[in-house]
Amino acid sequence: MKPHEPVDDETRPSAGVEQSDLELVKRAQRGERGAFDLLVLRYQHKVVKLVARLLRDPAEAEDVAQEAFVKAYRALGSFRGDSAFYTWLYRIAVNTARNSIASRQRRPLDYEADLSENEQSAVESRMRHTDTPEANVLSEEIHRTVNRAVEELPEDLRTAIILREVEGLSYEEIAQAMDCPVGTVRSRIFRAREAIDRNLKPLLD
Amino acid sequence: MSAAISVKRSSAWVLAVVLAVAARTASASPEEAKQWLERMSESLATRNYIGLFTHSTPTQSESMRIVHRVEDGHSLERLVSLDGSGREIIRTREEVHAYLPDRRVVLVEPRSDDGSLLKALPTPGAKLDTFYDLEVRKGSKLLGRDVQVVDIRPRDRYRYGYRIWLDEKTAMPLRSIVANGAGVPVEQISFTSLELQKKIPDKDVEPSVDATGFQWIRTGRKLGPPPQPMANANGWRPLRLPPGFRLVASRFQLLPGSPVPAQHLIFSDGMAAISVFIEPGHASGPAPPESSSMGSANAYSTSIQGHVITAVGEVPADTIREVAISVAPVDAPGAPSASGAPDR
Amino acid sequence: MTDQIREQVSALLDGELPRDEIGLLVRRMERDPDLRGSFGRYSLIGETLRAPGGRTAHPSFAARVSAAIDAPGEAAAAQDVPAIAASHAFWKRPAFATAVAASFALLAVILVRPFASEDAAIVVANTAATLTVSPLAGAISPTPAQSQRLAGYLVAHSQFSSPMARRSVWSGLLAADPGLQRASYEIQEAP
Repeated sequence: MKPHEPVDDETRPSAGVEQSDLELVKRAQRGERGAFDLLVLRYQHKVVKLVARLLRDPAEAEDVAQEAFVKAYRALGSFRGDSAFYTWLYRIAVNTARNSIASRQRRPLDYEADLSENEQSAVESRMRHTDTPEANVLSEEIHRTVNRAVEELPEDLRTAIILREVEGLSYEEIAQAMDCPVGTVRSRIFRAREAIDRNLKPLLD
Repeated sequence: MSAAISVKRSSAWVLAVVLAVAARTASASPEEAKQWLERMSESLATRNYIGLFTHSTPTQSESMRIVHRVEDGHSLERLVSLDGSGREIIRTREEVHAYLPDRRVVLVEPRSDDGSLLKALPTPGAKLDTFYDLEVRKGSKLLGRDVQVVDIRPRDRYRYGYRIWLDEKTAMPLRSIVANGAGVPVEQISFTSLELQKKIPDKDVEPSVDATGFQWIRTGRKLGPPPQPMANANGWRPLRLPPGFRLVASRFQLLPGSPVPAQHLIFSDGMAAISVFIEPGHASGPAPPESSSMGSANAYSTSIQGHVITAVGEVPADTIREVAISVAPVDAPGAPSASGAPDR
Repeated sequence: MTDQIREQVSALLDGELPRDEIGLLVRRMERDPDLRGSFGRYSLIGETLRAPGGRTAHPSFAARVSAAIDAPGEAAAAQDVPAIAASHAFWKRPAFATAVAASFALLAVILVRPFASEDAAIVVANTAATLTVSPLAGAISPTPAQSQRLAGYLVAHSQFSSPMARRSVWSGLLAADPGLQRASYEIQEAP
């Protein structure tokens, strides 16, 4: 069976991103902490989201995600660049989440027990989700704000940022699609982000 | 390959529905019905299973084999047509492959969605019994198993009704019927075998089609120059929705054949979902309205103020049309993000 | 000037900053929390667009990771670092239809059926109605181009349907329609 690859809501990092990740990892391996901080900033949401899906209790997602990043930092020396950085980080996050679950269980699950535990926890997890923790309210607010801001963008900026973020196209590919120079693509994406950020920043400060 | 399956006649289903009604015994509370539906959703998402089912609509019937495997928090799925074409769809972790042996073609599509829309999906919602009458009762055995039959009857004509036969032990749906307001079935899925398995071998999620010599076609991102820019970019919303439909998700995505991303709004009443797509119109001018259906899904597309508006959903065609033609730009600040029943 | 630097931050996020400019920018960002904040929020914008409604990290998350790294602690446990083969899945949170928006453009040509006349038989409710319900006139056979577009909508929508509805859309897409199999159309040869 193929080795694990990031899946589901993780779009494959583009070649450019993979390259810049490698560059950042190299710098971090040489001791530049700032470079690792940028990797955290880049992947924090993906990892938190991934871990939240794997845990029985999503409230622990941030703690476990933090643990995963710390482990990645300490293990950086063993990252050789055979895979994309995020692939490597993804596996660390999955293993960290699994171990945190395993450490809470008293016996290995067998099929029958699996069923009833699943059902029981299904009820429990539904009960937990009827009251909305602060994090969920913020997430929804963020989502609304970002979407409204994108709707209001001029079409060229909106198209550029969607092609980049949702479709994962490179600047070169977007330039072809929109029939404009690469520099214009870079500028449009930047201006789109700034316009959205004007609404987003007050929400998070 | 299995032999072709004969087409079921309309009358056979009506008979089935009538018989089921006749076999009715005392029913349990809506709460219990809701719990059964939750168990069902959980099972469908978390179990490994292999099954054979027939999918029937008024015009035809197909036999299918489905394999579902969960691994590390996401699912792999494979659907195989057994009616002689040998077609299959496999969703791997990153892509969807559609094998068309009769055309000697494999279509490959990158996954462009995300699994985190978990919350947004119309799981049987807490408020389901506001708009549907829910009932559950014991049914006669199916596939040698004890079953509970869940009835989900709409209280108005804007949505479909459902009857689902659930395996008592695992809550897996063994049979389901979607019916319109008059009780006429529009679609049925009926399993002829269903096995839950602890492990599913790799070969069951790999294609059985030998695709050597096939043409591999990657669909997706053929982009042309964008059409005329739009004058404004206000939010668009349907002004009329059946009561109980709320906005549950919205996103932008590139749809095939269009170089400019469409806005995709998803509304749900906890059972059925309606999608509304808003796209810039074509430079060549507005196209005439179109309507289509596939089983219980209906679609209607029309032109409004230079935009192409399409509504798609598991609701009757008239509902879909009314939703589509009511879509209009809404002024940005303070605009309602969901429309309930405005004139009630 | 600051805009120029922020634009570099934006390009770095996309992996489109020239390699020789990365070093200087990283050092700048180490010193400037505002630039880091922008980078983090740009990344959040992307995540939100790709996956609306999902969990996101709290604004202070990256700072907490940094503090945890600095705190004295044990070395990474070897078992958490890859590569480890999968065992059976423990999965609690329902993964409802981690489904697909696949546009089976060619499939669509032959699979979308005209409007089913059964629905025209819907009885109009006699209570006061929000929506006027009137039967649609006749059946319209879609052209291949229309079918393609329609399949795109159907499949994009099917992500948000219940697993059973999604299954029925896929079943419909897989079914061979004997009548339309005789229709001829071109498959583009790969160059």
